[in-house]
Amino acid sequence: MRWLGRFALAFYAAVVAAPLLLVVFTSMKTTPQFYADPIGPPPAWNFSHYRDLFAGQTMWRYFGNSALVTASSVALELALAGMIAYGIVRSGRRLGGFLFALFAAGLMVPSQVNMIPIYALMRRLGWTNSLTGLVLVTAAVLLPLSVFMLTGFMRTLPKALLEAGAIDGAGETTLLVRIALPLSAPYLAATAAFLFAIVWNDLLFPMLLIGGKDKLTLPLALLQFRGEYVTDYPMLMTGVAVSTAPMVLLFLFLQRYFISGALAGSLKG
Amino acid sequence: MTQRKKLSMLLAALTVLAVLLTACGSSNGNNGVASGSGTQPDGASASSGAPASTGGTPASSGGGGQTTISFLHWRGEDAATFADIIRKFEQENPNIHVETQVYPSDQYQSTAQAKLTDGSVGDVFAAFPGAQFESIAKAGLFADLTGEPFLGNFTDSLIEAGRKDGKQLAVPYQLVYNIPIYNADLFSKYGLEPPKDWDGFLAMAEKLKSEGIIPIAFPGADIGPGQFMNPMVMNNAPADIFVKLEAGQAKLTDDWWIKTLSQFKELNDKGYFQKDVLGTKDQGAGALFIQGKAAILATGSYELAQNKRANPDLHQKLLAPITVPADQAVYEGVHTTTFMLAVNAHSKHQAEAKKFIEFLSRKDIAGEYANATGQNVTVKDVEYASEELKTVSEWMTKKTVFQPRYTIKNAQIQTAVTSSIQAVLGGKTPEQAAKEAQAIVDQQLGK
Amino acid sequence: MKPGKSLLLFFLPGTALYLGLFVYPTLTGLFYSVTDWDGLSPSYRFVGADNYVSLAGDIVFRKALGNSLKFMLAVVVLQTVASLALALRLTRRNKRTAALRALYFLPTVISSVSVGFIWTFVYDPSLGLLNSLLERAELGNWTQNWLGDMKLAIFSVAAAQAWAHIGQMIVLFVAGLQAIPAELLEAARLDGGTRWQVFRRVTWPLLAPAAALVVSYTTIQSFKAFDLVFTMTGGGPAYSTEILSTYIYGAAFTNGTFGLASSASVVFLLLVALMTYLQFRLLRADRVSY
Repeated sequence: MRWLGRFALAFYAAVVAAPLLLVVFTSMKTTPQFYADPIGPPPAWNFSHYRDLFAGQTMWRYFGNSALVTASSVALELALAGMIAYGIVRSGRRLGGFLFALFAAGLMVPSQVNMIPIYALMRRLGWTNSLTGLVLVTAAVLLPLSVFMLTGFMRTLPKALLEAGAIDGAGETTLLVRIALPLSAPYLAATAAFLFAIVWNDLLFPMLLIGGKDKLTLPLALLQFRGEYVTDYPMLMTGVAVSTAPMVLLFLFLQRYFISGALAGSLKG
Repeated sequence: MTQRKKLSMLLAALTVLAVLLTACGSSNGNNGVASGSGTQPDGASASSGAPASTGGTPASSGGGGQTTISFLHWRGEDAATFADIIRKFEQENPNIHVETQVYPSDQYQSTAQAKLTDGSVGDVFAAFPGAQFESIAKAGLFADLTGEPFLGNFTDSLIEAGRKDGKQLAVPYQLVYNIPIYNADLFSKYGLEPPKDWDGFLAMAEKLKSEGIIPIAFPGADIGPGQFMNPMVMNNAPADIFVKLEAGQAKLTDDWWIKTLSQFKELNDKGYFQKDVLGTKDQGAGALFIQGKAAILATGSYELAQNKRANPDLHQKLLAPITVPADQAVYEGVHTTTFMLAVNAHSKHQAEAKKFIEFLSRKDIAGEYANATGQNVTVKDVEYASEELKTVSEWMTKKTVFQPRYTIKNAQIQTAVTSSIQAVLGGKTPEQAAKEAQAIVDQQLGK
Repeated sequence: MKPGKSLLLFFLPGTALYLGLFVYPTLTGLFYSVTDWDGLSPSYRFVGADNYVSLAGDIVFRKALGNSLKFMLAVVVLQTVASLALALRLTRRNKRTAALRALYFLPTVISSVSVGFIWTFVYDPSLGLLNSLLERAELGNWTQNWLGDMKLAIFSVAAAQAWAHIGQMIVLFVAGLQAIPAELLEAARLDGGTRWQVFRRVTWPLLAPAAALVVSYTTIQSFKAFDLVFTMTGGGPAYSTEILSTYIYGAAFTNGTFGLASSASVVFLLLVALMTYLQFRLLRADRVSY
């Protein structure tokens, strides 16, 4: 039976890799070459699209904006949601249950409903062209997801440890920082990874809330390649490749924390 | 424990970093950075075609006499051309600065709506004719342009689409023909001419098929039904048939639409469309045409330029299927006037906005736009340079009808109509498809 | 043991942000369901339950509802089963599993618009990857009109959605699996249990919280899926891939009936709430016993 498992892993690896290779191949073809052979390997390793993309200084700027917004949003999110999740887990049924339901309910709201009202609100507050405003809105909109996930994870933390700490006279803040957070490390990393991808690729709120050219984030800038009827696929795929690469690298880096931060550690010890 | 400590320190560092960065971000956002008119990254950006806007940050009027107006539209592929035109405009009007924002047409609807309402964005904006025009008019967002001198620069009959209740609310800038493109070389190779009636059309398709060429590449998954339905229906029913439909005086289950659907079905059943027609999108159909595997592309003149760019050896012309005997044909083709320029009624800079539209309406500027983007314009006396533009301008002398689909004001009804075509291509009978579509129409009218 | 008062301070900043920038706009948005606002005009009228009545009779809405359910079921089944099956083989900590998990996760970091583009090409009937590969493998009569066949299209999109998120769910399952104390598994095996018995009696019950998380998150995600459907099919052909979220978008922005869109959103919320509740009960996630 073992071969079945191995086969499944290999098969799915191919299913994942093939379309991604298509992205890379396409980004290296000129438009006529692309139409001539949409799915094969490129006739030559042609990096001209990548060069064109980075020709002006502007692409680095968009990279910077995306990085700034994503890092700020995720860090803020982890801080806020972490505190809330911890609080929910430590509170009684009434308060904890109520708050959890409040946040979890937000998960079900489709973006079309609050899109226009959020824009109107931001306009009244004068935050329609600021990256700060974008970070705050992004953080708010992601709270349901973050609180939902982190609460689920933190519920599995060993209560015994926290009780012991409390008996020893530690305040909630100490308990949070010295016991709960370190134990939750792999979960925080996992959540951070999810959030990173979501914020980095977000199109909706940057589109609504950012106006000035110097504040564009990467996905927004890449929209320019999608004209009315013209879809410059090779350029578009180049953009996809470029905007995905940082995420891939970051995940590979965070990966180590996933593996090593196993929860079982504290139970065994 | 050390690895966990490391991680918590990392998180703490991230949080501190985030707070610092956010603080920096907010100070950048609040100081309006003055737009340096001289050195701008525009030179580089024009060549890479990446950014949407031209120069600077939006500084409001006042202080130094510089007004910034915002230009909102959906044609990302025209970004570089507009940047050049705007540079000229700003040279002529040193106290006006234009900032552009582009959203692709499928998102344009939703985003434009939100941004137009407060008047801070889109002093000049572009609109689609038909349903979008109606809804923006209803919201009172168009500034009245009746009587403006620049209107005289346009061919009068071509700016009708922007008129409502006798007022000129928007000026269409682009002229397109929603009829299929054909490969002139393939046609001459097999001795074919654009047919003048339905039997001739079928015979032409049969000849192409027998030679191993796909007669018609039809993007059934996205724009095909909405485009090709126009020439198919133009001679099957009077020009105002859809207006009558929306008034409840005509039905899709009547002969005219059943006939149109049957003709679609006939083309599909005889194998004149490519295989799996409903799964093919605009890109896929275009690829078939560009590679010379299909002789006709059922989209419109707006694709001439991009096809040529992808395959410079193509020689393209336009034709329209005539669905009736030659002596009964009233129209030779279908035109649309789109990319309607308008001034936002809530704008605080209406005078400057109108100046910009006036600038665009000059025949040399319009000519520059047309020749650079490959799109024909509604401005009079423009000189077209390329073969494709000239081909299209030949059609201006022929008898064409304004795109029937755009006369449908209710978007749900429009979708029901195009869906009935998809249903027929998917195997339903014309009667069945029409009946289901009419049910949706009835429901919409009942409101 | 009573938790400290500082807990209330923990709640404060996040909840304030949430209430201000999320809850309030959402309530405003939902309020429009009893008006006839078109999303653009400065004024509107109250129409009571009219929008809800229209919704009940709306042919397209009914189709969207049915399609949403079909889509959700397909995605949940495919995604959960595939990610669990793969996760079970990836719990060991070595270079190979780490590399595979990273590979599987890749689609998640690509924006759904890009995923839509990629899979539109994969599914293209004449030029796409899937049909071309089938032809080369001599399986020519398995080729389909993946996105154009009205009965198949929604499932093709579901497959793309699953592809984009299986890696994400694998991470959750692996975390859950790694949390199961190895002693318990060893003990069960020593007691003579087969692999299946060990899975059913020990692994699965302890995995319940992770499983509940995966299933409910996937459900909600698939209901909200918009970018993918929008990019790949736009709701067609002939409404066969029209789901609730595309219906709401169309009603709000294309048809200019924001009030109707809001009423559809209310129905949407109630539906998802019901599903989530049922799932949690089914998987009995609130009882984790050792």
